[in-house]
Amino acid sequence: MAAPSVFLLAVSGEIESGEFPGFDDLYCKFSFVYGQDWVPTAGLEEGISQITSKSSVSPTTLVWNFPIDITFKSTNPFGWPQIVLSVYGPDFFGHDVVRGYGAVHVPFVPGRHKRTIAMFVPESTSRLQQLTSNFYFAFCIHNSAGAPERAPDPPVTIPPSLPVIRVRSQGFVTVCFNVMTKDLHKLGYDVGQGPGPQGLQQA
Amino acid sequence: MAELHLFGQIESGCGFSERRLFCKWGLHAGAAWTLLAGAGAGQTQLDDPQVGDAAQWGHPLDLHLATKGLQGWPRLLLEVWHVDGWGRRGLAGYGVCHVPSAPGCHRVTCVTWRPRPTRRQRLLAPGGPELREPAAAAGAADRFRLRTEAAGTVRLQLGVLARHMGRFGVAL
Repeated sequence: MAAPSVFLLAVSGEIESGEFPGFDDLYCKFSFVYGQDWVPTAGLEEGISQITSKSSVSPTTLVWNFPIDITFKSTNPFGWPQIVLSVYGPDFFGHDVVRGYGAVHVPFVPGRHKRTIAMFVPESTSRLQQLTSNFYFAFCIHNSAGAPERAPDPPVTIPPSLPVIRVRSQGFVTVCFNVMTKDLHKLGYDVGQGPGPQGLQQA
Repeated sequence: MAELHLFGQIESGCGFSERRLFCKWGLHAGAAWTLLAGAGAGQTQLDDPQVGDAAQWGHPLDLHLATKGLQGWPRLLLEVWHVDGWGRRGLAGYGVCHVPSAPGCHRVTCVTWRPRPTRRQRLLAPGGPELREPAAAAGAADRFRLRTEAAGTVRLQLGVLARHMGRFGVAL
């Protein structure tokens, strides 16, 4: 039997929750970013969660519990998929503004992993722009029907040659991944063993 | 040739004297190593943390290396810089950390240092003295010339994927 030239990566899991002090009524969008050698073969590449709020039993944590399930195939680990998250919430006028962007690589060690991702928003350079920025965001992501449009893709996976980008980190999102791979070992790759940095025991 | 993939993030920096920080990073490796794909150097965003004290960068790393030997194992040279309210840059710390050799996901904490300023330098310069050739910090040869003091720590998540190392009898 000929040696395989393609390997598969199957990821399932949940976007569990977010911590955004000072913000409430948030929803989250996810998408995957990957290199040229990667192709998604099954599952959803993008999604929008429900709008969630803090509650009496959870006064600081916003819970989405939003499932993700996708399979990729590839010939090369370079460009390993990253999940990109954008969190939005209402401003004073009720328009949706971004509350955070963040991204993390899908883990490559088979097993269960939990990742906490820092979420940041672009910071404007002038004080006046800071005051008016919420209004601008609201203007550009609303269409005439009143429902929020898809905002531009967040610049979280930019190449490093661009000049300094100023951001403010203002929250964290926790994501749980279950990772399965097929034929990675047959192609000669060694992914190591053991729990990821945050341990398998965290449920 | 054996190959090494490095995936991960330069996650955050904390414990520095300033909070608004960004990090410049560069990969240094011996002559046996070749960078096949991915950027070998870069710069994170400048973060002003609103939650907690750590500057959050979340800067993704994706490098594909090939090697003919084990000498000169790749290491990351990190330079942490702070930017004050006036937009002036000053050095916060230098750090070197080797890419982990064992395949798998690793949480790495890199301690950093900066050249110790004299009393006059402390009064005059906003950030303190900087190395003229930061790449010299990546090696061990010239360190004895420096007088340094401790700075903060940088947290990285580094994932290592190795290929064909077993063919050459290498145990990682």
